[in-house]
Amino acid sequence: MTTVGSQQISQREQTMLEQTATPGRLEDVVSTAEEFDRVVSQSLPILLDRATSYTKRFLRETGQWSDDVAHEKFVLRWGAEYLEQFLVSGRSEVPCRPLFLLDALVARQHSRPEPFCYHPDLLTPLGRFIDGLVGRASISRDALIALYHHCYGWGPGQVITVLGLNGPESQRIYKNFRRWRESGWQRTMDDMGLTDVELQDLYDQQQRHRQRFNSEAERIIRFAQAHYRKSEPDHYPCLSRRQWEEMFAQGYGGEYRIWHLALCLDCLQTAWDLGFGGSGAVEKPRVVLHMKP
Amino acid sequence: MEQEQDIAAYRERLIQSVKDGTRRSTCGQSDAIQVFVNQRRVGLLDVAGTEAALQVQTEARIENVHLRSEDGVLLGGLSAPEYGFRTSRISLLRDAVELRVQNYAQGGSVSAVFIPAQSLWDRTRRALAGMADTSSLRPAAAVVPGMRTMAFTQVLLAIVLVGLAADRLTGWATPEKKPLPVAVTQAEAPWAAPLAEVAKLEHQLVELSRMQAKAVDTIQTQQQGMAQLQRTIAKLSSTQETVASSVLMVKQEMEQRRKVAGREVDRLTRVIMSKAQTEQEQLEAEIHSLAAANDKLSKEMYTLEQSNQDLKKRLKSAGVDVSKATVSDRDKPVVAQQGEAAQPPQVAEARPTPAQSPFLFWVTFSDGTSQESIDQWVRDMHGHKGALTEGWQAVEIQPPAEPMERFLDQIKQTKIVKAVRISR
Repeated sequence: MTTVGSQQISQREQTMLEQTATPGRLEDVVSTAEEFDRVVSQSLPILLDRATSYTKRFLRETGQWSDDVAHEKFVLRWGAEYLEQFLVSGRSEVPCRPLFLLDALVARQHSRPEPFCYHPDLLTPLGRFIDGLVGRASISRDALIALYHHCYGWGPGQVITVLGLNGPESQRIYKNFRRWRESGWQRTMDDMGLTDVELQDLYDQQQRHRQRFNSEAERIIRFAQAHYRKSEPDHYPCLSRRQWEEMFAQGYGGEYRIWHLALCLDCLQTAWDLGFGGSGAVEKPRVVLHMKP
Repeated sequence: MEQEQDIAAYRERLIQSVKDGTRRSTCGQSDAIQVFVNQRRVGLLDVAGTEAALQVQTEARIENVHLRSEDGVLLGGLSAPEYGFRTSRISLLRDAVELRVQNYAQGGSVSAVFIPAQSLWDRTRRALAGMADTSSLRPAAAVVPGMRTMAFTQVLLAIVLVGLAADRLTGWATPEKKPLPVAVTQAEAPWAAPLAEVAKLEHQLVELSRMQAKAVDTIQTQQQGMAQLQRTIAKLSSTQETVASSVLMVKQEMEQRRKVAGREVDRLTRVIMSKAQTEQEQLEAEIHSLAAANDKLSKEMYTLEQSNQDLKKRLKSAGVDVSKATVSDRDKPVVAQQGEAAQPPQVAEARPTPAQSPFLFWVTFSDGTSQESIDQWVRDMHGHKGALTEGWQAVEIQPPAEPMERFLDQIKQTKIVKAVRISR
């Protein structure tokens, strides 16, 4: 019964894909980057639906799909991500057929071992919030620095102190915080499809069951961090206590400290222990989720 | 229904966000640009209004390169080719980034160069520099007179201006000059006006001379720059010539070596060929001599067979004679008859025996072999022991019927025999 149902769904999906593929211009060859921009910009909804359909099919075929709003938003989000990449990369592929180029790009993404960070827990409002923050941190330095605030409640001064940053880097941290407060946070919430009601609901939950909420948040944060740390280059692995000590003592690896410690709770605790273990100047990093920037 | 509206609104929001593209970024011009290779952050272009560059080498094949602002907005990107290189100029709001991506058989490389937008002053400066570059293509000797002419014109202009001013001043000081038909109070105004004008002119002259000095300085600097440039070009061309001559020399040397190597190879080939020919000739001569020896042996064998036939015939005739003699002498005792009758065949059969001398060989025995075993073995061989010299026991037997090699192999295979030889 289930099999028949999924076959029907697949057929519907296929029909939808065929319908979205109908505009002739997208199937035709475009010869210049300008022509590519023009043709593609006129067909964004069609292309988004196509990329979304492929992602949905991928989830179905890998047994990860469920008919609910969270999954629909998840595939829309990734469809938009692929479409954005297609818009900037496709220009360099001309002459090409845009429709099939998009298909190739999505297929290439889906052929990877882990095309995106998927877990049922990440589809709850709390999971989407954390996934949005940590995922954004892998591409935005503002979001990366803001992780210190959202996860541990630190301000720019504490971030600078714990990471042992110097003058110019400190200024950037303040700038990152400011920009995140002004636009970054709201954009991330919008991109994740989180509504004000959902955020308020999360806030209420945290107030009612603080400890349980934060421990659940820590579990999801650790999962998301482990996935998105892979977006760092291969030379960003976890270091031993001795290596961290050496790095802080000699003052090198500023970028390393900023990127890795934001995405690794264990290493952050080690680094804190080395610098502030007994002083009490900065509290030991513990996950206390902050919703607002 | 509400959920569908929620999803539709989300979809619209995403489409709008894709449409907005790079405009979504709130980063300033001085903020760094992040470079992602295969969606992994590999470095920063720390722009700050100046040219910045980033070079990245990867062990894995490069699929794409993305540029993102610090707030994560995708600014541009490039798909890498399967093999070879691809370049692209990503235009940002004002500035641009030159991307170059290359894939090799193993791994790839990315080069990102930030090119800041030029200000008006920069553009003017570059245009002037361009002109200077164009003029620098001409010989310096042609440029210098032009500069001199310009300086001379400026000096002449200044002198004319000074002359004019002096003329005005002397005109005012002359008493014979007819007074102007105006009131004194009104006449003082034209006096005041030229004085102010003169002061202004003087100021302009000073400015002009200062500018002229500056221009001369600039010209001198440019001349020095051009001279330096020429020196550099001359040096470069001489270096280029040296490199070209070196390349030529290397080519010639390679050619020479190739020729020498060719000659050497020819010589070696000839030597090897002549050696092979000599060997072939020797082999042919040996084959020829062997064939001759074979013929000779065949002839000797034929002669021996003939002799053997003769001997057989003689033996037969001798037997007939003996039987005739026996028939004529019947009174002789049987014993004597038998003895005489048996004699000729015995002689005929035993004739080769005296030619067969005993066969002598020497053996050593395995350690621990008893004397009884040795004696038994000698008996089995139907032979008898000879002298024992330095561990080699001489053994004398009847000549073996089988070929020598097989005989020796048989001896060697005997358990107690350690080694065997047939000569001292």
